[in-house]
Amino acid sequence: IQPPEKPLQAEEWNRLRESFRSPEKFEEVMFNSMIKCNSPIDVAKSLLTHMAKSNSDITYNLLLKYLRLCVQQGQTSEISDVYDIMKTRFKILESGAYNLCIRGLSNSDQWRRALTLLEEVKKVMIPSRTNYESCIKAAGHHQEINLAFELYHEMLNKDLVPTLDVLHALFDFSRGMKGAELQKELFGILLYLRENQIYPHKRFMQSIKLWFESIPGGNWRGHLTSIKDSGQCPVCNYQLEDSDLTEEEYNHLRERIIKDVIHGTDTFRKTSPQEFEAFQAFVENRLPFDIVIDGLNVSHIKPRRMQCENLFHAINCLAKENGRLLVLGRKHMLVNSSNWKRGIMKEMQSKADFFFAENISEDDAFLLYATLRSGKHCKFVTRDFLRDHKACLSDSLTRHLFRKWQRGHQIVLLIYCIKSKKMFFLVFIQQAAFRYDCVVQTTGDTWHIPYKDIFEEKYSYQVPRKWLCLRQK
Amino acid sequence: MQSANTLLKKLVRSSVLPFAAQHGMKKHFFPLIRTLSLSLHLKQDNSCNPSEKLDLDAWKKVMKSGLQETVRETVSEYKEDSTLAGAYELLEMWRLAGRLVPENISEEQLKNFMECPSKSAKKKYLKFLYLKELNKKNDRRKMEEKRERRLEAQEPTPKPAESRKSSFVCLWASCMDKAYNWRVAQSMIFGQPLVFDMSYEKDMSFREVTNAVKQMVLSEGINRRSVDPFHIHFCNLKDGSLYQKEFIKHYREAWDKLLITVTDQCYTEVFPKDKLIYLTADSPKVMKTFDHDKIYIVGSMVDKSIKTGVSLARAKRLGLETAALPLDKYLLWNTGAKNLTLDQMMHILLTLKDTGDWKKALEFVPKRKSCGFVSKPVHELKKSLNLLNTLKLGKRQGEVGRQFAKNYSKKLTQK
Repeated sequence: IQPPEKPLQAEEWNRLRESFRSPEKFEEVMFNSMIKCNSPIDVAKSLLTHMAKSNSDITYNLLLKYLRLCVQQGQTSEISDVYDIMKTRFKILESGAYNLCIRGLSNSDQWRRALTLLEEVKKVMIPSRTNYESCIKAAGHHQEINLAFELYHEMLNKDLVPTLDVLHALFDFSRGMKGAELQKELFGILLYLRENQIYPHKRFMQSIKLWFESIPGGNWRGHLTSIKDSGQCPVCNYQLEDSDLTEEEYNHLRERIIKDVIHGTDTFRKTSPQEFEAFQAFVENRLPFDIVIDGLNVSHIKPRRMQCENLFHAINCLAKENGRLLVLGRKHMLVNSSNWKRGIMKEMQSKADFFFAENISEDDAFLLYATLRSGKHCKFVTRDFLRDHKACLSDSLTRHLFRKWQRGHQIVLLIYCIKSKKMFFLVFIQQAAFRYDCVVQTTGDTWHIPYKDIFEEKYSYQVPRKWLCLRQK
Repeated sequence: MQSANTLLKKLVRSSVLPFAAQHGMKKHFFPLIRTLSLSLHLKQDNSCNPSEKLDLDAWKKVMKSGLQETVRETVSEYKEDSTLAGAYELLEMWRLAGRLVPENISEEQLKNFMECPSKSAKKKYLKFLYLKELNKKNDRRKMEEKRERRLEAQEPTPKPAESRKSSFVCLWASCMDKAYNWRVAQSMIFGQPLVFDMSYEKDMSFREVTNAVKQMVLSEGINRRSVDPFHIHFCNLKDGSLYQKEFIKHYREAWDKLLITVTDQCYTEVFPKDKLIYLTADSPKVMKTFDHDKIYIVGSMVDKSIKTGVSLARAKRLGLETAALPLDKYLLWNTGAKNLTLDQMMHILLTLKDTGDWKKALEFVPKRKSCGFVSKPVHELKKSLNLLNTLKLGKRQGEVGRQFAKNYSKKLTQK
């Protein structure tokens, strides 16, 4: 239904109500459409007045909807009035009302009341991150930057993940301000981005750049650039950190892969203890490998061709430059069939080491183990994103390590058909793993910050190509 | 000119203008201009009381004068426990705000609610309770309506039915029960065993265990009513386990009189290993025929999060043969997981046992999961299904796929 454009008299409301299909829901539906159409609050007030006179009561639900309308239009005095009424009428309020009040008041000159409301929320429950966001932004707008940071730390202590908006706002507010303490705080945010592998979007990046350039006496210069494959910054020739894990991280990851991915809740789910032991012995005897290949994955790379031929091509292509290959497969590959010819299998086995798992075992887990066991130089070949294995890892820190390691060690084979004079050439293109690590990094007098062009990045495997290079003169 | 003057006078007297003049806010001016013509029209409607003014803030006074709403009396019950009382008050407010919150909540449920680890878990639990309460209320209402209808129907005194004669004795429920029990007792001596593996308590949440028990109670009932029942074994059922507690909740005293074999031993200790076949959807082997000499094992597990390979792992560990139902061979699968509920399994196995007809047996697979039986070769049907899907979804699905492929290759070439 369409809300009226101006306040109505009691009878008029009555008439409207009667003409509505289900009069008992009339007020609720009317308020909803008022919120949708953003109608003037006087109209809502006249409906409230009508209801107050006829029932001498207004339900909490409708007060909440009225509050939403006020917040939507920034009617500060009304917000605080409704809050007072709610407070006198009800013993406690619930999260929805607090959210609205905090949002509404923090955008006005009564923003300090939002802070007292935040305190009130804390008594009942943990405030949401948007509550903190509104308060931090309000504090920042009124130059209370220390207060903003206090709230920010409080939020982190409660394990709330700050929105990018908050971080963005903190950089905006501190632009041109002095103070070593403040500088440390903002560097802390950049390190937070580094630790959690968050990439700022373009507008956020601009704000970081402007803040750096505005530091009094800092002499920072920022440039937008993209990094070469070698990992060198074209602006300042800084070599980015490589994607290798440290010894400690590497061992940690390997242990977790064995514990969480291979064994999990039950070793029998992915393999069997006998098989895993056999595989471990097999790997130990032939260490180290340079490349570990997921045989079945590679064999499906071109669907119209025989699977063993695909694998054969891939092995030939990889064997040229690399030393020792390990191919993982399943036992059914050994049975002579239309897709797996015995002769070709024999020939392949002379070029690379093969391990055949049981048909119902998961070969991916073996792939990870063999690669990690061979050492840092070892790479693996598969088109699989390995998401399900990453999901088996129990904590986010290890998952980040896994991602980083995967970026640095996974090779993806691509096939290109070159058509010339009725001849097809198949060319395998090796997609080299990343040589450098794509995170926020610093040397003290330089910062390198990867950023996303688009606001929302859809796929977690995509890594930004663009960087912000900051250096001090 | 005169008419214009009277018009203006009327306007001044009408409801909106004085208010605007009172407040004198500039921003109200624009909407006012728009409403001028309207208010004239309204004027004609309520010309009876032109002097009435609209006090838009009147409701505030009314609300402020009202008494403080007291949360219902139940709070006092929790007075000794302030956190419980606080949670209860919060729930009350959420209910007032129109969220899906049950009206009545027991202390145990309140404690469960507070133990939920996250906000979304809390919300989900409340919604669950709310829907449960709603269903209960609806059932009660329907029952009362039914009773009323019955009372109305009975009012004309029923005619004496003495004159009716029948050559059959009327069989009442208790007689039927006796007949069923006789059959099940026979099956306990001569019947084919069917094992329910109750070793999954660790893999399930509380809700999943209760659901599993409910399904097992259903299957037991189906088995009891069948022509040629199985001899049901509940294996690995430990004393004092959650399973047992839930069973006792369902069966009460009847639990001890149930004509099934309950043991805490593993099936491998009860039966010879070579006769056992573990039924699991993850099995690579597909069942071809129902074997009357084998003992089939069904894992009594409900997994809402689809943990693949859990039951296959059990069979692998014990070195048992496994099998899956030939769902893909007979049905054109549409949506949903291939794991079926325990009562559906029971229906299917009983039908297989009686008739050996796969088509008849797989009638019990939920209709939403498949597009019907396979009559043509499977690949042809799949083609038509794909066509159907693309028609139904428009180009979008294909487009999404293509977009994804494009993005992916772009990312790779950028490297």
